[in-house]
Amino acid sequence: MLIRAFFLLLLLSCNVSYASFFGDSEAREQIDVLRKQVKEMEVRIAKMDQALNNQALVELYTRVETLGLELGKLNGQIEMLSNENALLQKRQRDFYIDLDNRLRQIEQPGSRAPSSHSEPQSSPRSMAAPPPDEHAAAPPINNDITPESFPAEGVDSSRAMDSGPLSANELAPPGPVENGSYKEAYDSFRNGEYTNAIAQFENFLGNYPRSSLAPGAAYWIGNARYALRDYQLAIDAQKRLIGKYPDSNKVPDALLNIATSQFEMGDRNTGRKTLENLLASYPHSEAAGKAKQRLSNIK
Amino acid sequence: MRKLLSIALIVLLSACASQTTQPDVEDLTSGTDNGLSGSDLMGSDSGRPSYFNQLNDPNSILSQRSVFYDYDSYTVASEYRELVLSHARFLRDNPAASVILQGNTDDRGSREYNLALGQRRADSVKNMMILSGAQDVQIESVSLGEEKPHAMGHGESAWSQNRRTDILYRGE
Amino acid sequence: MLMSIYCSKLMRGLLFLLLWLIIPSLHAQLNIEIFGGGASRIPITIVPFAEENRLQQSITPVISADLQRTGLFRLIDPAGSSPHAPVEVVYADWANRGVNALVIGRVTHLSDDQVEIQFRVMDIAKKSQLTGLAITVPTTQLRAAAHRIADVIYEALTGDVGVFSTRIAYVLKRGNKYALQVADADGYNAQSIIEYTEPIISPAWSPDGNQLAYVSFENKKPVVYVQTLSTRERRAVASFKGSNSAPAWSPDGKRLAVVLTGQGGSQIFLVNTDGSGLQRLSRSSSIDTEPNFSPDGRYIIFTSDRGGSPQIYRMPVTTTESSNAERLTFEGNYNASPDYSRDGKSFTFIHRNNNQFNVAAQEIGSRQVEILTNSKFDESPSFAPNGKMILYATEINGHGILSAVSRDGQTRQQLSVQTGDIREPAWGPLPKWK
Repeated sequence: MLIRAFFLLLLLSCNVSYASFFGDSEAREQIDVLRKQVKEMEVRIAKMDQALNNQALVELYTRVETLGLELGKLNGQIEMLSNENALLQKRQRDFYIDLDNRLRQIEQPGSRAPSSHSEPQSSPRSMAAPPPDEHAAAPPINNDITPESFPAEGVDSSRAMDSGPLSANELAPPGPVENGSYKEAYDSFRNGEYTNAIAQFENFLGNYPRSSLAPGAAYWIGNARYALRDYQLAIDAQKRLIGKYPDSNKVPDALLNIATSQFEMGDRNTGRKTLENLLASYPHSEAAGKAKQRLSNIK
Repeated sequence: MRKLLSIALIVLLSACASQTTQPDVEDLTSGTDNGLSGSDLMGSDSGRPSYFNQLNDPNSILSQRSVFYDYDSYTVASEYRELVLSHARFLRDNPAASVILQGNTDDRGSREYNLALGQRRADSVKNMMILSGAQDVQIESVSLGEEKPHAMGHGESAWSQNRRTDILYRGE
Repeated sequence: MLMSIYCSKLMRGLLFLLLWLIIPSLHAQLNIEIFGGGASRIPITIVPFAEENRLQQSITPVISADLQRTGLFRLIDPAGSSPHAPVEVVYADWANRGVNALVIGRVTHLSDDQVEIQFRVMDIAKKSQLTGLAITVPTTQLRAAAHRIADVIYEALTGDVGVFSTRIAYVLKRGNKYALQVADADGYNAQSIIEYTEPIISPAWSPDGNQLAYVSFENKKPVVYVQTLSTRERRAVASFKGSNSAPAWSPDGKRLAVVLTGQGGSQIFLVNTDGSGLQRLSRSSSIDTEPNFSPDGRYIIFTSDRGGSPQIYRMPVTTTESSNAERLTFEGNYNASPDYSRDGKSFTFIHRNNNQFNVAAQEIGSRQVEILTNSKFDESPSFAPNGKMILYATEINGHGILSAVSRDGQTRQQLSVQTGDIREPAWGPLPKWK
């Protein structure tokens, strides 16, 4: 406390001595300068006040908020529309598959009433083998069973895949497990899992060589090979189908796939021969139409 | 310059010596014409900033402290614009004043979503205030969601009371 | 469908009362009413255990109440006959009464404060024992033992995990007081974890069941706390500028997703449970809130109004913030408060339908939506750890109660406290031995 009081006194005395250096006029000048500065400041503040009181900024902000709300609503509509679009696409695909199934049954005179199984039959978009325009001519894969006889009971199941050709009426309609395993393999194919699909279809052929779905399985193995760009293996697979199920309605499609593979391998002559062979042997098949078109293209 | 320094020192030291505290409000008296007279400022001896006198004047728009909203809306309706801007100008003119903005909702739906909605209401008021001259540091916007209803019960009369942002001055 | 169940006589027929000790001095009643669940219920008889009447707390009434609450069982009265050992069971007799399963047992008093409980579940049709167990417990934990036994019976008869030994957390508001409480799944043993005169919301169980995260307004604004149940010790995990809310635990228990407003808007962040390592997860100009982790920790589902109305979205949990999320709900203009099921295949949420807020569930794969309730103001649905029930808050006669609905919407029960509002339920995880 004492020390503090001492300092205080000291400083007070300094102050007095400093004050004496300044005259009255000097102080007045300084005060005038300060007054002028204050006035300038007041003018500037008044300007700023005006700027701020003009509510343009606030109105702009309100507009931005309103726009934000509208943007949100638009976003929501886009989300809804893309969702509906995705659902519609899926429904359309399902409709197409259903329609394709029904048409196929009508187109095959004498074929049995639609069987309960309904595996997808359209050729998937991811498939490279037939050109896109062939989509509508999706290869039929089953229903090539004739109604007359079903030797399901009497089939010698020990006859394996390589044991000579089987005619269509030796093939039995699929049971539910069989159907399921075919569909599983086909789903793999559709999802682009070609290696899986090949294994699953091979497995199917091993288990159900006499299934009415067997020619389809064999056909898709060839197609999966094609999609993997193993053209020679694709040709081999389709040839196996033709050898094994010579009167299957898959044969024209198999021939078309063989021809496509041969072209891909650069073997144009063999490819053309295959197409001509297809035209001659199955002139009324859908595949023949494609073959004709392709032959005219390569001329 | 040295003179100024010495004056400052003296003020400082004498303040220490006398052990009295000057109310902070002295810093606020400077400058702008905000309608505060000197006697108003000196009038508060409790240490409570005297600008509260103005805030609580029932004739002033500043005594109104709530903005109300339509259902699910968070924008300040035009009828409340002047209220928000008046408080903004007041904050601009009294830099030591500060507010908490509390956003509230009615009690329908998710409590957490309502908390976020209340926040958005408070934020919207805050942004308007800053655009009108208040400083960011003067304003904290928080949400009470549906947790602090003014009016109890269901029905639009209660709900519309609860969809609001309250402006609370710190120290009040 | 639900309406017809609601109106049926079952509503009045299956009402029973239990005592719920909220604060030792105050006894409030917990009503459990079960609607529906008719035809396929398993007929079962639980014979009072030998010597259990010497205990302060009988075992079998607790087991019966547990099983009855699921809506999956039809309890048949033993009607005087009381076998306690397999040799005493006359199978033909029980088969005549239409009983499928019979629970028998005995209590052996080992010392003043310890007992052994033996019990068996007998399959009447096969005339053999289905399962059985002997457990030794202190006499202070007889209810816990009864819940374990109910779990064993439930698992043996349904093949699902029982949830009778789990706990629930909720907020009780009485007068101007808010209490965060933890209780057994049947509502007993309620204990206040913390009490305040300011609101508490959004309790969330840590995956190990040892801690609760919640939001408290005690500092005049929402702050996220984590509290250890055994020690009552707690810490503020998110107390940043602005609001802090909606805590959700990552499945490994190391991090919390929280919603902060400090950087503008309500946005989702990740934070370590000690409050360190703050990381922003969502970036949008909309409200993003109510995060909930998928059980594998890879995704967060949350409520956002980026599409103009609150809807549920899913985003991957990454180390960088993202504005992209996949919208999951498309029906109606208000879907909020999502909670994943344990298997990660579905989530429950609140759906607004004609100004009613109802509990709904959606499968993530098929997007199949089911609306499970038809009350007016449902909130905060929370899956039971076995995915069979959903606990939620609703309102009856102007005050908040807890309710539970089965995943198929067939069985509903109301758990109500006579005094005060009860809300914000969260169903705890399975105990560690499971």
